Amino acid sequence: MGDERIDLPQGTLDLLILRTLAIEPQHGWAISERIQQVSRDVLQVPQGSLYPALHRLERRGWIKAEWGISEYNRRAKYYALTRTGKAKLAISAEGWRKLMTAVGLVMDMK
Amino acid sequence: MLFDLWYRLRAIVRRRSVERDLDDELRFHIERQTQKYVSSGHPVAEAARLARLELGGLDQLKEQCRDARGVGLWEQAGQNLRLAFRSLRRRPGFSVVVVLTLALGIGANSAVFTAIRTILLQSLAFPDGHELVRLEQYEPRTASPPSAVATTRLEDWQRMSGTFQAISGYYPGDISETSGDVPERLAGAWVAPRFLQVWAIAPMLGRGFAPEEERFGGPRAVIVSERLWNRRFGSNTSIDGRRLRIGQDSVPIVGVMPESFQFPLREVDVWAPSPVDAPFAQDRRSTWFTAVGRVRPGITLTEAQADLDRVQAQLARAHPDTDARIGVRVTALKDVVVGDVGRSLWLLFGAVSVLLLIACTNIAALLLARTADRQQEISIRYSLGASRASIVAQLLTESLVLAVTGSIAGLAVAAGALRMLEVLGEGLPRVAELRLDWMLVAYSLGCAVGATMLFGLFPALRTASRRTSDALAARSRSVAPSTQRLQWLLVGLQVSLAVPLLFGAGLLLRSFDALGRVAPGFQPERVLTFRISGHWGETTDMKALQRRMYLTAEALQAVPGVEAAATALAAPGVPFEHQTEVRIVEGDSAPNQRILASTRVVSAGYFATMQIPMVTGNPCPQDAPTPTAVVNRRFAALYAAGSVPVGRHIQQVPANAFLGAARIVGVVGDAREEGLNRQPPPIVYWCHAAPVPAPLFLVRTRMEPMALASTIRRKLGELEPRRSVYEMAPLEERLSETFAENRLRTILLTFFAVTAVSLAAIGLYGTLSYFVHMRRREIGVRMALGAPRHEVAVSFVRHALKVSLIGCVAGLALAAVLGRGIAGMLYGVSPLDFMTFSGVLLLVLGAAVFASAWPASRAARVDPMDVLRME
Repeated sequence: MGDERIDLPQGTLDLLILRTLAIEPQHGWAISERIQQVSRDVLQVPQGSLYPALHRLERRGWIKAEWGISEYNRRAKYYALTRTGKAKLAISAEGWRKLMTAVGLVMDMK
Repeated sequence: MLFDLWYRLRAIVRRRSVERDLDDELRFHIERQTQKYVSSGHPVAEAARLARLELGGLDQLKEQCRDARGVGLWEQAGQNLRLAFRSLRRRPGFSVVVVLTLALGIGANSAVFTAIRTILLQSLAFPDGHELVRLEQYEPRTASPPSAVATTRLEDWQRMSGTFQAISGYYPGDISETSGDVPERLAGAWVAPRFLQVWAIAPMLGRGFAPEEERFGGPRAVIVSERLWNRRFGSNTSIDGRRLRIGQDSVPIVGVMPESFQFPLREVDVWAPSPVDAPFAQDRRSTWFTAVGRVRPGITLTEAQADLDRVQAQLARAHPDTDARIGVRVTALKDVVVGDVGRSLWLLFGAVSVLLLIACTNIAALLLARTADRQQEISIRYSLGASRASIVAQLLTESLVLAVTGSIAGLAVAAGALRMLEVLGEGLPRVAELRLDWMLVAYSLGCAVGATMLFGLFPALRTASRRTSDALAARSRSVAPSTQRLQWLLVGLQVSLAVPLLFGAGLLLRSFDALGRVAPGFQPERVLTFRISGHWGETTDMKALQRRMYLTAEALQAVPGVEAAATALAAPGVPFEHQTEVRIVEGDSAPNQRILASTRVVSAGYFATMQIPMVTGNPCPQDAPTPTAVVNRRFAALYAAGSVPVGRHIQQVPANAFLGAARIVGVVGDAREEGLNRQPPPIVYWCHAAPVPAPLFLVRTRMEPMALASTIRRKLGELEPRRSVYEMAPLEERLSETFAENRLRTILLTFFAVTAVSLAAIGLYGTLSYFVHMRRREIGVRMALGAPRHEVAVSFVRHALKVSLIGCVAGLALAAVLGRGIAGMLYGVSPLDFMTFSGVLLLVLGAAVFASAWPASRAARVDPMDVLRME
């Protein structure tokens, strides 16, 4: 499975985290698992960067943290999207799509 | 060691719940990840390892999370602070030495700084104190200091000048207040009109003098001090009908001045008007007012001076006889009050600044040694992922804690030092105004922060440079040669800074010693001095006044235990500084030669009482129909061309109303009348028992003089019950007072010098101890190879001595240059005194040996086996 993996481009980790949390609140481990699953194992979240990113987003007020009980009855820190976070996600997602389209156009040129 | 540190770091980290949360969060992650691996078939241990590995360095990760959260600066600072306290507590010896060093440096510096600010820089404690000036008239032709001002002239200045708000004057006069059982002497001042206007301070009760009270023959009135008011009348607030009984008269009190008003002298309790229109005040040659003025806002000293010069030039044309040869001098009153204490204070300030510098150097050396000792700890923290900035911050925090603790202790030291200064420097100007204030606090904190930067930043940056830390991780127990050189340099620097202080103190001490061995030409031991109250009105009948003095002297001589008694205008050996030009009436030898001589006025019996030997002729006679005088040997040698001047007449130039042409009746030996530290000047002793109503009485006793004090008081009380006796003190005490400032600066400089040398010794000790500690392996190996123990010890001492010697030589060179600065304060010793030079050298080298003995002996006690086992 290693061959298919690609490194995350700079700045996309935040976007992926926000998008994942848009579905439901999650703890850190689950976020990385979810990203990996959804991307069919192509995207591997560098675990060393995940937590600093979470804390950074929390500081910016885009996500908020709350302690909850996990699936195995353990205490875990759940992150959820804030209203600011939702707005930011919308803007970032829009930007991302534009970029993808633009890059696609350039890559497809004859 | 590594494990221990790891735990300690974690322990600190766990203190806060935020940190615990972070821990929990990451632990949860690792657990979940481990589970995942286990469920995909990995053995448990392998799964856990993989999970951890994926996450990377845990500490680094946490640090990044903290950074990401922007863990507040506050939190970081708090943590640094805790770490700092903990690490300082672990080395109490080091911490105490550093704090004490700083406390001494900052404390002494703050105290002297406060003294300078209060005494030299602050304006006087009067509204717009900078506008106040002292006005003096002087005789440009003699070296005589400026004198008091004649009443009429004072009024002319006031009337004709344009740059002054007011000019006034005063002269001290003691008052015998006779309403109680025993007459009480009150210190009083007679004041010219506009006196309160000059000071711009209003009475707290009542009013100032009314114009009619300032006129001759007008109603009498006095203003009293708050102190006297409270003593006499309690806290009574009604001034109506309150009176003082002065001599025969009952005089109404019209005003009370607040305690803060302390002029001309702190102890003045009564102010009374001196009428300027009195017949006796019209003589332009009778000078008695100490003149003060307040210039108009914005007028400079130079402008005021030019204005008065112009006025005086007009007066010279109007009164050519009396005013032609008079100059006017305007001086800021503050400079008059402060006098030349400034020189001493700046000297002391220089000294304490050097002390602070030594203190900082010392601490830099200690900190350098200590941080080098901690290289290992620091390199471990690096490998655990601490950032360079955080380590520098940590080390700086430690320095800051030391500096702040040191400056708090320093403030305590300063407060104590100021109190001591108040006690030791009782005679000094404005000492009572000394207060610890916010400026001092700011200054002290400034010192602390500066010191922290100075001694904290450097070792911190040095230690925290990764290169050093890598190198030391490899070679943990040895000293980088550059560090060694730097530390020895610091030690040498301290020595070279301490030496000039020590040298200066040595010179001052030797001066004092020389002063103690001076033969003054009179016998100051066993002489009691005092004054008996008198009134200026008595001077209208000089004959009667003199008769009173001689009657009193006779009565004193009848007291058992009294050998002789006399009066004098001023105490012998206390600078009077009244130089006048005189003329020998029959002298035609050198008509163009100006004869300048110190003036002393003494009664018959003065030379016997002071035991000044007669050379030829007779002492002052008691009853002479015409004025007489006695000159000293130096006067005769200088101005009488070797011939005996006895029988000739001498006269002041210009002629003085009170001391007319006087016949010289004798020549006496030279005495140091103008101060023990000055060569006897040419002196004319005018024979007069009472040039002022209350001259100084000098009584030679057979026993300790103060033992006779009460007997003499009783005797004088029987003789003249209405008069009070005051200022009673042994002559030696008066002489010693003239050296109060000298003594104070000697004591302080000696104290600073000793502190400086002690600090340098501590620095040497600390540095050497550190080297011995760091080089134990090398020492052990050398011993194992057969080096004798004493040789090892001696090599350390030798090195310490070498550095001290170099420092000493540099310091002495510095001292030789600086010595010129204090040349004016020395007596009987050259600023390049060889004895002092060698003494300082011996002392410093002795201190160096002493300080290095203990570390060196520890080096000698190193056990080679221990060291080898440690490898």
